[in-house]
Amino acid sequence: MSEIGEPTGIVFDIQRAAFQDGPGIRTTVFLKGCPLRCAWCHNPESWRLEPQRVVAGDAEKVYGREMTLAEVMAEVRRDHNYYVASGGGVTISGGEPTVQIEFCRALLRAAKAEGIHTCLDTCGYGRTEVFLGLLPDVDLFLWDYKATGDELHCTLTGVPARGILRNLRALHRHGARILLRCPLVPGVNDMPEHFRAVGTLMRDLPGLQGIEFLPYHETGRGKYEPLGLAAPKLRSHPPGLAEKTAWREAAAAAGLSRASVL
Amino acid sequence: MVATLQSVIRLANTRPDDPLAQELTFTATYRRLRDADPVERELSCLRVQFPAILQPITAGDLFAGRIRYPLVGFSPEPGGLGYYCSDSAIRAMLEPLSIPPARQDPVREMLDFWRTETTTYRTRAACPDWVNRVLPEDDWQAQSGMAFPVYRMGGTQLNYATLLRLGVPGLREEIQQRQAKAPALFRGMLGALDLLSGCCRHYAAQARTLADGCPDCVRAAELTAIASTLEPLSERAPATFREAIQLMWLYALLSGTWNYGRMDVYLGPFLARDLDSSALTEAEALGLIRSLWRLIRAYDNQYNNRVFIGGKGRPNEVAADRFARLAMKATLAERLTQPQLSLRFYRGQDPSLMQQALTLLGEGCTFPILYNDDVNIPAVAAAFNVTEAEATEYLPFGCGEHILNHRSVGTPSGVINLLTCLEVALHNGRDPVSGRQAGPATGELRKFEKFEQVWDAYRAQVERCVTALAVQEKVEYEVAGVTAPFLFLSMLYDDCLDRGRSIFAGGARYLGGTLEAYGNTNTADSLTAIDELVFRQKKLGLTELVAALDADFNGCESLRRQLLAAPKYGNDHPVADVMAQRVHEHVCRVTREQAANVGLDSYLIVIINNSANVILGKNTAASPDGRRATEAMANGNNPAPGLDRHGVTAFLNSLVKLDPNVHAGAVQNMKFSRSMFTVHREKAEALLATYFAQGGTQAMITVVSRDDLEAAMREPEKWGHLMVRVGGFSARFVELPRDVQLEVLQRTLYE
Repeated sequence: MSEIGEPTGIVFDIQRAAFQDGPGIRTTVFLKGCPLRCAWCHNPESWRLEPQRVVAGDAEKVYGREMTLAEVMAEVRRDHNYYVASGGGVTISGGEPTVQIEFCRALLRAAKAEGIHTCLDTCGYGRTEVFLGLLPDVDLFLWDYKATGDELHCTLTGVPARGILRNLRALHRHGARILLRCPLVPGVNDMPEHFRAVGTLMRDLPGLQGIEFLPYHETGRGKYEPLGLAAPKLRSHPPGLAEKTAWREAAAAAGLSRASVL
Repeated sequence: MVATLQSVIRLANTRPDDPLAQELTFTATYRRLRDADPVERELSCLRVQFPAILQPITAGDLFAGRIRYPLVGFSPEPGGLGYYCSDSAIRAMLEPLSIPPARQDPVREMLDFWRTETTTYRTRAACPDWVNRVLPEDDWQAQSGMAFPVYRMGGTQLNYATLLRLGVPGLREEIQQRQAKAPALFRGMLGALDLLSGCCRHYAAQARTLADGCPDCVRAAELTAIASTLEPLSERAPATFREAIQLMWLYALLSGTWNYGRMDVYLGPFLARDLDSSALTEAEALGLIRSLWRLIRAYDNQYNNRVFIGGKGRPNEVAADRFARLAMKATLAERLTQPQLSLRFYRGQDPSLMQQALTLLGEGCTFPILYNDDVNIPAVAAAFNVTEAEATEYLPFGCGEHILNHRSVGTPSGVINLLTCLEVALHNGRDPVSGRQAGPATGELRKFEKFEQVWDAYRAQVERCVTALAVQEKVEYEVAGVTAPFLFLSMLYDDCLDRGRSIFAGGARYLGGTLEAYGNTNTADSLTAIDELVFRQKKLGLTELVAALDADFNGCESLRRQLLAAPKYGNDHPVADVMAQRVHEHVCRVTREQAANVGLDSYLIVIINNSANVILGKNTAASPDGRRATEAMANGNNPAPGLDRHGVTAFLNSLVKLDPNVHAGAVQNMKFSRSMFTVHREKAEALLATYFAQGGTQAMITVVSRDDLEAAMREPEKWGHLMVRVGGFSARFVELPRDVQLEVLQRTLYE
């Protein structure tokens, strides 16, 4: 909150014309701060809440700046006509957007008040009542399901899956619209039992809108060193055509015929 | 479009067996009639030219009509302006003695004669001295400069609907009925029609001869069909689709126009009739259009060869749509760089046309080019000061300059490089590339205390150039008007017959002009950087900045980074876009105001592109937007390559801020990934629909992947099919020069 009471948040990017963050043409607002440390994270600049100054070569860059709600909404509003034509809207992403819950909520409400469709791109980790509290302001949750089994989930993200699944079920019970999104990292979380678990989850929660598999990519690797972070220890590679085909088959075998591999 | 480039490519010694025979005969005829009536002179010269320069029917042709312009001849534009002589090409033939020594003297004498006799020379000579001082150079491709004249009568589009309705005899009758009004001119027109009939007979006889000697019975039948299509054309109006195409095509070749108007309007009814009566199957019709497309391609001129389909104001829309669909099919099947198939569309048009267009674009065809009638018709009405009813007949030609179909002329006979104007202003009138005093002393840098003084200096340089270019345009028309009646153009241009005047001598309903502006975006971004960094934030001194430009940023890397980081047009950024609007509105307004001063019906800026952004860039110094010397300038109305960083919606929002009501056409190139048109097809459709609904005038769309472009640069032999829009034209990527390839690669790819 700024002194005059207008909500402010630490934003590290606003991407317009986002085509892969929910339905239609969207503007994605990236909020800083994340409780998870996923082994494949391509946005390590989102981990810490406060803005970070980095030097790469002879160029300086600042990740994150404090923005007022009005400033963010001014950006979001610019593509209003594109949202209407495409069934798009705004997506709040991160980091984990609920880390800045007050600003996140204010942004969602402001968008809803202007008739703009809202998506929350979340890892699902946090207190259940926080998520339930957002229910009226979120048209569609983009809900991560990253790995099967508490132990593996802990190894790969730093937190167990248990709480995330509890939140998911709670939201589902309350009628939230949810799209499941599963990052797939070759050799790391793409085992058959994972696909089976996702299949079971989809059957258990018939209200889920669908599922998208997000193939691993390495575009974020160059960000680690300038941030003073050790390079990720993850041993994997972007999937080839054969792996993607195998995923499609595994998904189909698990009864996920409508799943898309982006 | 840029005449100088293609003229060099197209002109040829048409008689290798007897080099320059055509040129010498033409010259002798012209000399004999040098002081005769211009109508008689033109007709006689045309008779020397046709059918002599028509080329033989070639394997696969389903119509007759190929042409190569000789090194000396007459044309509105393809060979050169009016009576032209390609001096340098002929001299090149003299050097290695490809002409026997005994024949050299007449050739040298011919060159001597034309030196002060070509229409281009006469235009230059007729310009007032002060105009020639402002425009000292003709060679815009090799010289540095703010403004250049271009010599041509380009961009006419003829009334083919009337030609096909009346046929040769009907047109003859129309002319005869009015003969008393202008006996000499109309006699000339009748003579030109005789010549057209003669060319029909010439090709018919050729087709018969070829058919007789053809061992392949399928091809023999095709050749016989060509002959029997041509034979009745001098006797009656065309009755079939095939006859209509043949007559239109031959007329176009003889006239020297190379933009073909609303083809679906004038061919649609013939197509519908033949299909409905089963005289033609759809497959046969497609074959005919494909053959026409190949002939258009062979008339090699990548900057023109426009064919329009779709849009408001088509009397028989259903028939026209049928032609439009087949035309798109032909384009997809042939995958040629020409014709430049263009689709006009409006709210209420059969949506299947746009669907088909997007499929073609998604296939990487680069065609059709899309034109939004809902925006363009009111814009053209405002810019040209005509009614919306008349503006419904707007038609872009060449690289995207609008005219009113067969009633206005708007030849682009001038080039202005706005970025050089700014650089000259920053050097107190001196051109930093040539070192010459190119413009008035508009002020010393150290005396500039506020941004408005920089603006005023820039403005003064631009306005002086535009004023001179307008006079030059008018003089070019006057010289063309007294030199020749351009009989084939005049017969099919409103209101030549009714007024009894030739096209450039009072016959055309509207005589307008267009001025090609380049460097608009870099100029705006440069002014933004100056305003922001020098005057608002006071981070830089103007003298320091210009010193860095003069050093081409060597040793000034951090200063250059600051310039590059300043707001840039193309990001929906209020500051940068307002400056772009200011630059746009200024040059468009000043140009438009010249029409009344020089006595033209309109004089309007066009913001088109070919590869002139690259070519002019080579002679343009480093600029305050951070662009280095010799680098390409931004293309058309587009952002500087790679500097639109806020996504495609921001890019499109910036584009629509530039007022379309004050100019005669601007091109918008867009480069999308293939997945955008496949995986995200619905989103791509919504994106374009919104852009057009927000005021987008047109779009030239390249669908490609960056990997493809890079692979094509490494292994050109495997990527011959890869098509891209360079600006005003489509090209095979691998055939582009490397610097143009790099410029295309640098443009933001939206995915």
